[in-house]
Amino acid sequence: METRIRILLLSTVLLACSGCATMHWPWHRQKAQQSPPPVEVTTQGDQNTAPPSVVEPQVERRSISVPRIKAKNLEIGGYYGELSIQDFGAQPVAGARLDYHITEDFFFEGTYGRAKAGKTSFEELSGNVQLLSDAERRFTYYNLSLGYNLFPGEVFIGHSLAMSSALYMIGGIGEVTFAGDENFAVNFGAGFRVLPTDWLALHIDVQDIVFRSNDIGFSQLKNNLQATIGATVFFW
Amino acid sequence: MLWLVATPTRAAHEPLQLFVTQPYLELHTGPGRGYPVAQVVGRGEAVDVLFRRTDWFKVRTERGIEGWASARELTQTSLADGSSFKVSLGDLAGFTSHRWESGIYAGAYAGATLVAGYSALSLTDNLKIEVGASQFLGNLSNGYIVEAGLAHVFIPEWRVSPLVSIGTGYEHISPKVLLVQAVDRDDQVAYAGVGARLYLTRRFFFRGEYRQYVVFTRTNANEVNEEWRLGFGFFY
Repeated sequence: METRIRILLLSTVLLACSGCATMHWPWHRQKAQQSPPPVEVTTQGDQNTAPPSVVEPQVERRSISVPRIKAKNLEIGGYYGELSIQDFGAQPVAGARLDYHITEDFFFEGTYGRAKAGKTSFEELSGNVQLLSDAERRFTYYNLSLGYNLFPGEVFIGHSLAMSSALYMIGGIGEVTFAGDENFAVNFGAGFRVLPTDWLALHIDVQDIVFRSNDIGFSQLKNNLQATIGATVFFW
Repeated sequence: MLWLVATPTRAAHEPLQLFVTQPYLELHTGPGRGYPVAQVVGRGEAVDVLFRRTDWFKVRTERGIEGWASARELTQTSLADGSSFKVSLGDLAGFTSHRWESGIYAGAYAGATLVAGYSALSLTDNLKIEVGASQFLGNLSNGYIVEAGLAHVFIPEWRVSPLVSIGTGYEHISPKVLLVQAVDRDDQVAYAGVGARLYLTRRFFFRGEYRQYVVFTRTNANEVNEEWRLGFGFFY
């Protein structure tokens, strides 16, 4: 019964929304189109002489088809590096990234990375003790971040090659799956991007992925520093 | 007149040709305001538009020199038929009327931390189709929601514009292992929300929303969950 009432209410709101969209609200009234001011033709000569006759062009304007301009704001690619998982040592990390350049200053970035944690010092020293199973040692994460091109510029190689570049700061939110638990994570860092061509970008990034974890019995803030190199292509 | 006669007909797959009508058009070495001006194109000369990156266009002059022109400067050029070149700029008018928008949120869903992303297609300036995905990470359970719905923006031309939303989706919940008899659950959900968006600058806006989710569980009583989300979006 309760379900039906809710569906009924939701449907009513849906219809109301659609209806509102089609209404002409008073604040939507377009400003009255102002006619352009009449063009006054003046002559520099004697005011009594007749104004020169204007030649009406006989050529009809062609209607041309405007080709669509390609946008190359999206870059997609991968990265590889080292991730220092707190208490579990530094391990290789690999990931994929998607960047969308919103303005010349800001870009959005989504990343997904994977690494496998090593052993803690305690495990190394105590012999057969295993704090985590093999599957629980898998460290996967995703981040949704906003980046800011702090120092855009150019990189010069020799005297004939200039490549545009940027030193950027980045920060965002995401999730880390580690030790059999999913955790809310915050990431922040900095990176350097250089574009050898219009479609290829090379990256060097350093980020800290921070999350709160209970994996060893008490709540603890975990800092996981990551340094990577990567390559992306601008495709759309 | 002259260039009307002089310009040959261009096929649709060729790059867009624009004619400089201001005294000169500045070409920068990179897609940003800080890059130095390396070339200028004089009045009456043409440039081919190769592609766009954010609000900058890579162009090639008749002499084969390539450089970057800003969208704002290119709006003062004209097409082969004499009409002025129009391009969407990131401004309040674009905030009012755009085709696509995307964004990311952080928030709270039923007491759990929420990470969410969405994209929306504008049917009108008021009405948008939205798709979204969110992950919630709590002390007792984790899960995700994928959803689709409609959002209605009231007075989209205002810098702060209120909105209502409605939609449906699918929720997956994984209770944490410390709970007795914990089993994963998949349920249909429906939501209704109220919120507002605030235009910041360029292509950015804040968006905040309060939603109520109804989870259609397999038990007699449905669940009602509250959600707060706050984030930023960008339009394109």
